Amino acid sequence: MLIREDLLAREKMTKEEFDRNIQLMTKWIESMAESGNFINADALHNAGRYVGRSYVLSDGPFIEAKEAISGFVLINAENTEQAASIAQSCPLVLNDTAVIEVRPVMIIENESSN
Amino acid sequence: MNQATDTVIQAADRLYKSHYGKIVSALLQFSPGIQLETVEDIVHDSFAAALTAWQKESVPANPAGWVYTVCRNKILNTLKKDKKVRPLSDTEDFYGIEPIFTESFFDDYQLRLLFACAHPDLSPKVQVVITLKYVANLKVEAIAKALGMTIDGIDKLLLRARQKIKTEQILLAEPPIADLGHRLTIVHKIIYLIYNEGYKPSTGNEILKEELCEEALLMNKALLDSGAGNSDTRALHALMLFSAARFKTRFGSTGQLLDLEEQNRDLWDQNLIKLASDFLNQSRSGTISTYHYEASIAWLHCTAKNFRATDWRLISKLYFQLLQMNPNPFVELNYAIALYYAGEKKKALTIFDKLQQQPLLNKYYLLNAALGKIHLLEGNNHKAKEYFLETLKQTNVEAEREFIRRMIDKSS
Repeated sequence: MLIREDLLAREKMTKEEFDRNIQLMTKWIESMAESGNFINADALHNAGRYVGRSYVLSDGPFIEAKEAISGFVLINAENTEQAASIAQSCPLVLNDTAVIEVRPVMIIENESSN
Repeated sequence: MNQATDTVIQAADRLYKSHYGKIVSALLQFSPGIQLETVEDIVHDSFAAALTAWQKESVPANPAGWVYTVCRNKILNTLKKDKKVRPLSDTEDFYGIEPIFTESFFDDYQLRLLFACAHPDLSPKVQVVITLKYVANLKVEAIAKALGMTIDGIDKLLLRARQKIKTEQILLAEPPIADLGHRLTIVHKIIYLIYNEGYKPSTGNEILKEELCEEALLMNKALLDSGAGNSDTRALHALMLFSAARFKTRFGSTGQLLDLEEQNRDLWDQNLIKLASDFLNQSRSGTISTYHYEASIAWLHCTAKNFRATDWRLISKLYFQLLQMNPNPFVELNYAIALYYAGEKKKALTIFDKLQQQPLLNKYYLLNAALGKIHLLEGNNHKAKEYFLETLKQTNVEAEREFIRRMIDKSS
């Protein structure tokens, strides 16, 4: 699950607001761990590098974008439908701070193995 | 309110509790084209009609059949207005097949409903809510109170689940037998989550929470009795019974929360512990699940003479195994705590450090509470107090806050 939010708005958050959101996320992750869905999650810094063949930008367009990736959650789910259903219960989605892009991890079936 | 009225209300409540889901699913089978919302409205209307009618006359001999017949007639009327939806079996046949509602609380019907609720497209939370609604027959208000959610929140979840049911009609079709094995894992998880919801201290209503634990045990017992269960079902049953044995001792005489060390072990229910041990022994065939590890840990706690005499080394090894199966920071925290009590302090502290570095865990109340306790045991009262003060900001469950305030006093 790629968590996307307005990074400028996130930068303007007070420490209390930010901590509150982190706490809500911790609670959510705890419930995903309880149901055996959770694998891994991290929050990402706003600033980084934006790299192309002929450039390295320290202030990439992702800062300006309305919805840029602010973190990720890796989960185990029965299927994409269930993953979406889990994503709907994310507190940042519920309080309209973020949207979540649910993308299944690609797995290549190994045909030769049998 | 007179006594006769009371009796009628009680009879209707009992019927709701034992038959709501059954009546809904029987009606859905009768007329698959109809929407679940419509059926639920009709069932609610019919229960209201029952209250009025039964007070005028008396409670009929077959109350479930009475409500079902009223519902069915209401549906036929609805269908007449809306020609697009037709009953499955054209009228005449239909009058012939009246579902037989048994008086037993948990029958095949309800078991099938349980498997229907274990729909893989729904999130575990939604699965839990619809199971409480259709299998345990709890009213939305009660579910909200028990889970510490708003009625609005529950309604929203149900609305989404209903949309799913509408397109897939999961309550209608009994999952094919081939699917049962797969769904059994989900069913176990639902039961486990319902039990946990009832067991952990929270802002929810205490009586309702105890009911959640009972419902979970009842469902699991029904699975075992039906023969649909496997060794995981038995391990899960053992786990829940070990916890149930300690249920009442988690709180002291004034209602204060007691941790494992403070609980009066003489009050632990030895009969339940014995029963749980039997289930754990019977769960040995087959593959090992997380329930096996958790039940084994609970067994070690339940059979230890006291907190100090607990086999922490073995418990830490079991947590390590659990971690291989379900790697997450919350299990890791328990692993570190067990290591600490097993005397492997250095290894434990390394894990605590690592967990603290994760922003998502740093503000986790149980991590900070554990760090506080360890610093207290190590004699670093100042540091302990800091962690406990931090914890106090991180939970709003009153029982837990009161517990932490006591720990702060101890560290001062």
